Amino acid sequence: MGASFLSFHYLIRKIFRYLFSFVIILLVVFLLPRMMPGDPIANLVGEDVYLSPQKILELRSAFGLDSPLHEQFFVYCMKLYQLDLGYSFHMHAPVSSLLIDRAAWTLLYIGIAIVCGIIIGVGPGEKAGWESEKWWAHFLSAGAVLISSTPPYLLSLIVLVIFVYHFGWFPLKGFYDTFDITSIIHHLVLPISVLTVFYASRNFLIMRGAVLSEKCQLYPQFVRSLGIPEKDILSGHIRKNAIIPLITLIALDFGFLFSGALFIEIVFSLNGMGSLIYDAILSRDYPVLTGSFLVISVFVIMANILSDILCIVLDPRTGRNE
Amino acid sequence: MKRGRCKRTLQDISLYLCIGVITLFFILAIIPEVFAPFPENKRFIPYMDPDTVHFLGTDDMGYDIFSLLIYAARISLLIGFCAGGFSIFIGTATGLVSGYFRGWIDDLLMALTDIVLIIPKIPAIILISAFLRPSIWILILILGFFSWETTARVVRARTLQMSTSGHVLSARSLGFSSYQILISDIVPVIFPVLLPKFMLTITGAMISEASLSFLGLSDPTMNSWGRMISDAFTHGGFIREMWWWFLPPAICISGAIISFIRIGMVYEKPGQETMVE
Repeated sequence: MGASFLSFHYLIRKIFRYLFSFVIILLVVFLLPRMMPGDPIANLVGEDVYLSPQKILELRSAFGLDSPLHEQFFVYCMKLYQLDLGYSFHMHAPVSSLLIDRAAWTLLYIGIAIVCGIIIGVGPGEKAGWESEKWWAHFLSAGAVLISSTPPYLLSLIVLVIFVYHFGWFPLKGFYDTFDITSIIHHLVLPISVLTVFYASRNFLIMRGAVLSEKCQLYPQFVRSLGIPEKDILSGHIRKNAIIPLITLIALDFGFLFSGALFIEIVFSLNGMGSLIYDAILSRDYPVLTGSFLVISVFVIMANILSDILCIVLDPRTGRNE
Repeated sequence: MKRGRCKRTLQDISLYLCIGVITLFFILAIIPEVFAPFPENKRFIPYMDPDTVHFLGTDDMGYDIFSLLIYAARISLLIGFCAGGFSIFIGTATGLVSGYFRGWIDDLLMALTDIVLIIPKIPAIILISAFLRPSIWILILILGFFSWETTARVVRARTLQMSTSGHVLSARSLGFSSYQILISDIVPVIFPVLLPKFMLTITGAMISEASLSFLGLSDPTMNSWGRMISDAFTHGGFIREMWWWFLPPAICISGAIISFIRIGMVYEKPGQETMVE
């Protein structure tokens, strides 16, 4: 009873911190356009937007720019509460509907990459950590370090040059030519494989490190002295402990996945959330930028809350020695 | 036994190789004029193939790619090192203070660390750079500020262990100030943890800089390896399959990153390896 209370207490404290992080993110997003030198209107609607003087006056009062900052912040939060992320004057659409249109595709292939990356990365990582002296373990770890130390876009560019420009096996851009499943798969194979390889190599390294450090503890030795076969030590005892840091880091990696997806979408010209952000950067479409940053942050925070709950379920000791 | 020694030598060779690579890049960064065949801003015919005069041909503006490559080492290393140093400084200071003094200051600093940890790094850096259009020094500050939290955690954990150890207690009972103890008794002991963290933050900063250049968000006046790849992408180097344009800077970035990581693993004992985060 005491333990579960402690875990619960731990979870509440964590969630409180996440809320605080979110408030800080909100403050950054709120203050950045308003504190910049120059007219905040230009920073709030994006640059190179022509607006009539009358429209500017209208917007001024809509944003409440003449009222004190804390009132502006309150208005801003109320708008967010109604899922109003602002209006993109470049795309002539509300940011939230733009994001919903684009995010579905991005989430689709990020989701596939997460599943494949975990399947490909975790198993071999565990094996490589357990038998770390074998030549193939060294070989795989070197490969994983090599891949995870390349900037994400570089690998996509090299893949693009080889398989698209040189061999012409895969289409150059877009999600599909005709809207059917074979065309979609044909277009998505390369982006998904690049993202998967990246993600798998990170998972591989994390899992390998976790198994390596668990292997040196006393309990595997004790279990071995009881006469339990090697593979049961790994699957029955080590795995459960080694998976905890993996879960935490997978959640923290969510932001990394989104940024990886951003570069992959730019390179492969996919019309997802990443290229929406890229276009927004090029045209300085600030509402889209801030809106997508908020959405990504919410995703990351939710993933972290989920991982904390999972950790508590898997390891009841969580939070006890804090 | 023999096999073990062979492996040992192999590891030594790889370490010396990595130190050699970094030293070479450093020399290039300090005195590029000596090694570059042409000054940075001398223009020739654009899109030339490699020949004996231009080892790597010329780019879309007619600049000699080999010279650009050498001059770019300066910016890439400068950003990596300064951002890494800044981040390791904040991280170490935070970790030392919260691990040594404990109590409310520990709670406060660790809560702060958790809060920074949660913010998605690259998206945040992209957003801030899009607004600020940073010069190189602002960029270094931004990159450094978003990477100190893992260092802080590791340093705190080690400092917590250290602060009850014999030599720290005796230094304290001899009346040395906390500052003195932290600097001369704790920092040297936790150095083996700091070095890999330092190297990892350097590589992180270099990767982030290259990514920002690719998005066109870093300082437009400076020429880094990331910028060269981005130019090759936006100005037709990839469609023409001019591998001599985009592959050399890519190899330089990856080579530097791998060398830094390898150097950071010097203190590693078998069984307790650095986690690449």
